[in-house]
Amino acid sequence: MRFMMLMIPKGYETAPPDVKLDAERVKAMMKYNESLQKAGVLLALDGLHPPSSGARVSFAGGKPKVMDGPFPEAKEVVGGYWMIQVRSKEEAVAWASRCPASDDETIEIRRVQELADFSGDVREAIAGLPEMQAGVGQKR
Amino acid sequence: MRFMVLVKADRQSEAGVMPSRELLEAMGRFNEQLVQAGVMLAGEGLQPSSKGARVRFSGGKKSVIDGPFAETKELVAGFWIWKVNSRDEAIEWLKRAPFEETEVEIRQVFEVEDFGGELTPEMREREERHRARAEELSKAGKH
Repeated sequence: MRFMMLMIPKGYETAPPDVKLDAERVKAMMKYNESLQKAGVLLALDGLHPPSSGARVSFAGGKPKVMDGPFPEAKEVVGGYWMIQVRSKEEAVAWASRCPASDDETIEIRRVQELADFSGDVREAIAGLPEMQAGVGQKR
Repeated sequence: MRFMVLVKADRQSEAGVMPSRELLEAMGRFNEQLVQAGVMLAGEGLQPSSKGARVRFSGGKKSVIDGPFAETKELVAGFWIWKVNSRDEAIEWLKRAPFEETEVEIRQVFEVEDFGGELTPEMREREERHRARAEELSKAGKH
């Protein structure tokens, strides 16, 4: 089963667009990434620019309204993610616990929906999804 | 440049209620347009936070908290990774998405070039090796 590990670094919600990353921390994180890869569990990973350079689009009543970042009301934001393939939620939690995260960082673990999770009408409606995902080279 | 498009959770998604067939079909058509335009690199839905967990790092200690998590508005229900030429292009694509009440966040993805001098040549090379290997593994169908 696939899990997404969402890194939520405290303070990233107010980081400037040109946030400077600490080389030592990046190095430690790369070592961790390598361990995920060596174990054959890593499917994808990315880091995100701070929300101050992002945007939010809300669809109240189906009408899109664009708001530029930063987002003052946001108490926590995603700073990056890993997509992993493991056998259980416990295994995902164990991997997250090994991350060389800093104080005040949180990793949220969320199970990814698979086609088998759906039934009936819904399953029929999304039957083309795996083919679509494979077509764009997405890892499963 | 790549953007991560984070679709926020709401009461329904957190309760595990599936969208209507109509909305799913509209989303399927939107996804098809993204694929045909070469914009979509990835897209997934996440199960409700009640099936998830959090690992919190604080004071040198780790604590595990099981879901659900209260801040429904900030939770992620699904995401895309898009490849576009500008932030405006990402916003234009998103405006066409068939959402009804949802809030969606657009965030640029870091590329190796963004790290400039912070990333040593060795780290850069290792990063590229990682990506290539991950791709090989997925092509080999390893699970």
